[in-house]
Amino acid sequence: MSAETRRATRRLAGSPSQVIDRSRPLTFTWQGRPYTAYEGDTIASALAAAGVETFSRSFKYHRRRGLLCVSGDCPNCLVRAGDEPNVRACRTRVEAGMDVRAQNAWPSLDTDVMSLTQLASRFLPPGFYYKTFTRPRALWPFYEGVLRRAAGLGAVDPDAAPARFDHKVYEHADVLVAGGGPAGMRAALAAAGAGARVLLLEEQDALGGHLRYSGGDVNGQPAHEAARALAAEVRAHPNVTVMLDTLVIGAYDHGWFGAVQGKRLLKVRATAAVVAAGAHEQPLVFANNDLPGIMLASGVARLLHLWGVLPGRRAVVVSANPRGLQLARDLLQAGCAVTVAEMRATPEAALVEALRAGRVELLTGATVLQASGSKRVESVTLTLPGGETRVIPCDLLVLATGYLPANGLLNHAGAKPVWNAALNEFVPAGLRAGMFAAGEINGTHALAPIEREGTLAGLQAARFAGYGGDATENEIARLSAEVAAAQAQRAPWTPAQTLAPEQKKDFVCFCEDVTQADVRMTIEEGYDSMELLKRYSTISMGPCQGKMCNMAAMRLCAHHNRLSIGETGTTTARPPTRPVSLGVLGGRLLEPVRYTPLHDWHRAHGAILMNAGQWQRPEHYGDPLAEVRAVRAAVGLIDVSTLGKLLLEGSQVPDLLERIYTNRWRRLARGRVRYGLMVNEEGVVMDDGVTARLDDDRYYLTATTGGAGAVYEWIEWWLQSGWQLDARVVDVTELYAAMNLAGPYAREVLAAVASDLDLRDETFPYLGVRRGTVAGAPATLMRIGFTGELSYEIHVPAGYGLHVWQALMDAGAQYGIRPFGVEAQRILRLEKGHIIVGQDTDGLTNPFEAGMAWVVKTDKLDFLGRRALLMSDEQGHSKRLVGFTITGGALPEEGNQIVRPGAGPTGLEIIGRITSVRYSPTLDRVIGLCWLPVEMAMPGRTFTVRARGELLSGEVVATPFYDPEEVRLRG
Amino acid sequence: MILLACPNCGPRNASEFRYGGEARPRPDLNAVSPEEWSDYVYMRANLLGVLREWWYHRAGCGLWFIAERHTKTHEVTATYVWTGEHV
Amino acid sequence: MIGLIRQGLSGRHPLRRRWREHELQDRYDVVIVGGGVHGLATAYYLARDHGITNVAVLEKRYIGSGGSGRNTAIIRSNYLTPEGVLFYDESVKLYEELSAELDFNVLFSQRGHLTLAHSDAAVRTMRWRAEVNQIQGVDSRLIWPDEIARLCPHLDLSDRPRYPIVAALYHPPGGIIRHDAVVWGYAAGADERGVHIHQLTEVTGIDVEHGRVSGVRTNRGRIATGTVLNATAGWCTLISDMAGVSLPVTSHPLQACVSEALKPFLDVVVVSGSLHVYVSQSDRGEMVMGAAVDPYQSYSLDATLDFLEGLSGHILELFPGLAPVKVLRQWAGICDMTPDYSPIMGFTPVAGFLVDVGWGTYGFKAGPVSGKRIAELIATNTTPELIRPFRLARFAERALVGEKGAASVGH
Repeated sequence: MSAETRRATRRLAGSPSQVIDRSRPLTFTWQGRPYTAYEGDTIASALAAAGVETFSRSFKYHRRRGLLCVSGDCPNCLVRAGDEPNVRACRTRVEAGMDVRAQNAWPSLDTDVMSLTQLASRFLPPGFYYKTFTRPRALWPFYEGVLRRAAGLGAVDPDAAPARFDHKVYEHADVLVAGGGPAGMRAALAAAGAGARVLLLEEQDALGGHLRYSGGDVNGQPAHEAARALAAEVRAHPNVTVMLDTLVIGAYDHGWFGAVQGKRLLKVRATAAVVAAGAHEQPLVFANNDLPGIMLASGVARLLHLWGVLPGRRAVVVSANPRGLQLARDLLQAGCAVTVAEMRATPEAALVEALRAGRVELLTGATVLQASGSKRVESVTLTLPGGETRVIPCDLLVLATGYLPANGLLNHAGAKPVWNAALNEFVPAGLRAGMFAAGEINGTHALAPIEREGTLAGLQAARFAGYGGDATENEIARLSAEVAAAQAQRAPWTPAQTLAPEQKKDFVCFCEDVTQADVRMTIEEGYDSMELLKRYSTISMGPCQGKMCNMAAMRLCAHHNRLSIGETGTTTARPPTRPVSLGVLGGRLLEPVRYTPLHDWHRAHGAILMNAGQWQRPEHYGDPLAEVRAVRAAVGLIDVSTLGKLLLEGSQVPDLLERIYTNRWRRLARGRVRYGLMVNEEGVVMDDGVTARLDDDRYYLTATTGGAGAVYEWIEWWLQSGWQLDARVVDVTELYAAMNLAGPYAREVLAAVASDLDLRDETFPYLGVRRGTVAGAPATLMRIGFTGELSYEIHVPAGYGLHVWQALMDAGAQYGIRPFGVEAQRILRLEKGHIIVGQDTDGLTNPFEAGMAWVVKTDKLDFLGRRALLMSDEQGHSKRLVGFTITGGALPEEGNQIVRPGAGPTGLEIIGRITSVRYSPTLDRVIGLCWLPVEMAMPGRTFTVRARGELLSGEVVATPFYDPEEVRLRG
Repeated sequence: MILLACPNCGPRNASEFRYGGEARPRPDLNAVSPEEWSDYVYMRANLLGVLREWWYHRAGCGLWFIAERHTKTHEVTATYVWTGEHV
Repeated sequence: MIGLIRQGLSGRHPLRRRWREHELQDRYDVVIVGGGVHGLATAYYLARDHGITNVAVLEKRYIGSGGSGRNTAIIRSNYLTPEGVLFYDESVKLYEELSAELDFNVLFSQRGHLTLAHSDAAVRTMRWRAEVNQIQGVDSRLIWPDEIARLCPHLDLSDRPRYPIVAALYHPPGGIIRHDAVVWGYAAGADERGVHIHQLTEVTGIDVEHGRVSGVRTNRGRIATGTVLNATAGWCTLISDMAGVSLPVTSHPLQACVSEALKPFLDVVVVSGSLHVYVSQSDRGEMVMGAAVDPYQSYSLDATLDFLEGLSGHILELFPGLAPVKVLRQWAGICDMTPDYSPIMGFTPVAGFLVDVGWGTYGFKAGPVSGKRIAELIATNTTPELIRPFRLARFAERALVGEKGAASVGH
């Protein structure tokens, strides 16, 4: 192939309606070959200008497909642009250097071997897959592999560098107007005139809608100039904000709308909305109606007027409305030979006269029977009144054959369109309060009534949003009457019949290659409602989501069921109105990682970090067993800043604690700390922690790292939903850094940096709380110990955290202090037999079963879960959480099951499970916690654990495993 | 996105709130039978219509309040602070 | 296949309706409310296994229009509790035979199912599940990033603070299915055996006399019957309320979406509980994606944008390269959530009024086994052992099933 850039052989001379800048050419590639475009071109317009006719291969039969709608509705121009698959060439501006390629074709777009499948189409009825390959079962994976190779259109490169677009924008408006055509612009002006703040969103890159490319005159002025004049008025209005290239993708609850502007997601809250989204032009169904060169009139009009591209030299225009005739005139003027097949008996006289003046042959009452051609349309066969047929050679077949309202946004908000038999269109009904529709979406296609409907909807929306007064009301009443009268007089722009008699390759659905015969057979098999028809034949399930096929499918469904179209009904339109990329929708992950004030220190000291809920915590600093030994033999320091921390104040805090915890709180003295367990109203363990009485009316509660948020909201709920207690709760989790200094030398280390605290056991005993100064920082110290050693939990304002930590590490150096992480703490607590809520307990665990009856005082008057616990206590318990060791020292894993011989598939029955297990360096044996049936839950009983497929022998051991007399803790 | 009027803060997106479920009176502990307690803990009206339910302004003022919301249309007819006994 | 070739050569496709239309009889032995996979499978097994064919399936809209046609069609049995695993394992085995059984290819694709673990705590739960699964004879094991990379090379396995992929529960027999085909296959099989399937037939009341069901009222007339099965999803409390039976159920929308079709690149089903997403690629090439139920009670089938934003962000967290992939369509179904994330099956306090409800987000997986065992319950008037854990009375008896941990987003 020559490297010469493809020239734009089909480009016309410049005209004022065009949007390309011929002074700024640019080069891009299509199928690896260079092409020229102008700034303002889309991929499609540039390729069409260069004479490209085949843009894609169809999904099932790999038939050639060319430009059809040129509006982003149909699947025909889906291409790959750069790394992005399934790009709509007609809606994507071409950029210099862009690498554009066809999809779904091999070895090339021009010779696609998969197109041979259409030769077998008679063997591929709808539901083919369901009826084949059911036996033998063993071969199905092979067949499936073959089918799967044929799947998909574009290809994505899943390993490409991430391209996320994290800029999301919020907008607020009194009135949102979706669509910047004549109806939308009028609506915006009317609403703004009444005083409302209006946000006008338009999918195209200019206001004006169909006037930009419809050709013809408006009140003696070219239509595109009228569009520009109206657009200028809209833009000049101070109450109107216009956003172009912005597609509204969905309408949601309470006036919430999503829109996409380029690569930005826009979220709008609007009090009222006017949907002026227009209509999708609809093709006819006839044999070979998918050949390249067969196009919708609006698509041809766009190419012609916006980009100066003439897509054929010899056109047949099939017309069912004045826009077809207007386009025929414009094609003629552009130098194209034109024949008009007018479906209506009495077309507009003025247009007919103008065409006849240009010596255009105009056949009235004609319809299309079939098209022919190999690589593109070469001729069309028309059926004329009386039944005779006529073959007309052509290279462009234009269909101006009616509309499907762009109902999506209305339907998202609950509207149910109704069939209007006079217009042959579905029109909106059942609109949600505050939503209004105007223009072509209503089945109104002539300009003056479109604009009137726009003005009316704009006023109604403004009024709904609280603007305008009596004058507005009067104007609404007057316009409503006018609109109603005009609507009653409308002539149909959509023909009553759009289906030629059933033939081969007459496509109802271009996305999925579904023909009329396919639809008929589907219905005959009983898939006779629109929803079943859609699911079985896959009609409307493809990229166009029914925009090109739904209407034809409904007509066929009605026909075969002998029902009216109204009775047949439609499928429900779902968001988004057009496909939107995950990158645009996803944005940034708004889920922060939480770091403690000591995080940098941990990282600098070799910590291996782990996730604990949202938090990052040190799992260990290289040698967790050494960390355990340090705590047992000397002293260690752990960052526990992630604990939930609540400050409780008020004269009735003891009542609050009595109700939220299972144990007693009334007699907790100042300066004392107590362990507490929370259960929910089912009696299931929720959380545990300690609460310290700091002062008469001040308490400090800690909750688990994972449970902190839920505990706070739980307490707040009970306080606010009827417990009228003098108690207030503040979540201070992030205000304090917390660390636990544990080990035989903890007192000495602390004493070195806490000069104003008397740390002697007599003055600061186990379960005491004191306020003091640690390394110069104000601190709250609790003498508690998850680890079982003498230990102080030190809470200081977050900003002092690092300083205090460093001071403790320095002071501990001479005692061999080590920082320890979560892993060492797990071993240490396990040696003491302490449970971890959520690990050793699950969603059904009650405290009795967990061996925590000691902390449940059911004789208290009331507490949350009391009734349930009384009931379960009466009912008795079937299982218990107990300590165990493994005979022989093998180390099972958490999650391993305790089994006995049984009737199950593997000859084993599950009777329990291991929730925690570790090698204990202190005791030099394996220890753990496990669930067992109560009858086995006594020390000395042995059981079998399945670990890594082997069966190990375990033995129940009393807890705590270590220091059961708590000599060290209280020392 | 449901718009919910927090009695303190005014209309806000539902994403600022945590849902608290149906508002139901907690039975008198001393009078309640085991069956009634199980019903209280587990059974729900789950009605199709206007539901009285709890919401919590998590990303706002921290208020737990009642909303009366239709479970099909999502129309919110009232939101208010609860001032009575426990429900 | 031979038939299709013959039809193709002759150019004729002599087709017959796969389920016929009938007048509504004034009496049926069994009335099943709900024409989804559960109701139709029950009707099928009643006829096939127990010879009970005077059965009506009443469907308010068209068959499969509820949860059966709205789920993401993932099939698996790697549940957490021994009773759950046994139950779903029978379902998977029935699904494996279903295409041959119904002579209708339900496109069951056992391509493997990966549940990702992003934390140490998740690894512990995954191991628990794997161990229970293995003991119950289900192929399921914990795998690590090297093997994850082989099964799903496009996952982002890099070390990062928020959602690192540290391990996964791998379940080779898990996969996806063509959900509608299952509905149609059962419907055709039930119809062939004499069951009446009534579409566009809405139940408006249930008559109970002296604590016993006596009839069902519909928009097409009354049916006298002694046995009514509530096999609805989304509306199960409304139907049960008609019989005066309370249920521990709240209904929440569950949304899902599908992308444009792409050339296949994702062979396994990928689930992340922490990120609340699951994704698979269908044999048509579409990515089918879902998330957790909406947080509030609702009967609305309207889609929300926040769902789509959250889901997309989370999918990209797993597969950053998929940013250009476009979402084509999103939809919602209604899920009936129970307190223990397990269904409610069998007898109720009203004699003759049976339930097969509370299916949360896992109903489709259980269609065949539920149908088979509920049919057995109806035929024998005894609760089969396999579904005894799921009886309604468990709430009063405080004998809940412990699936909560694994099932909350366990697709």
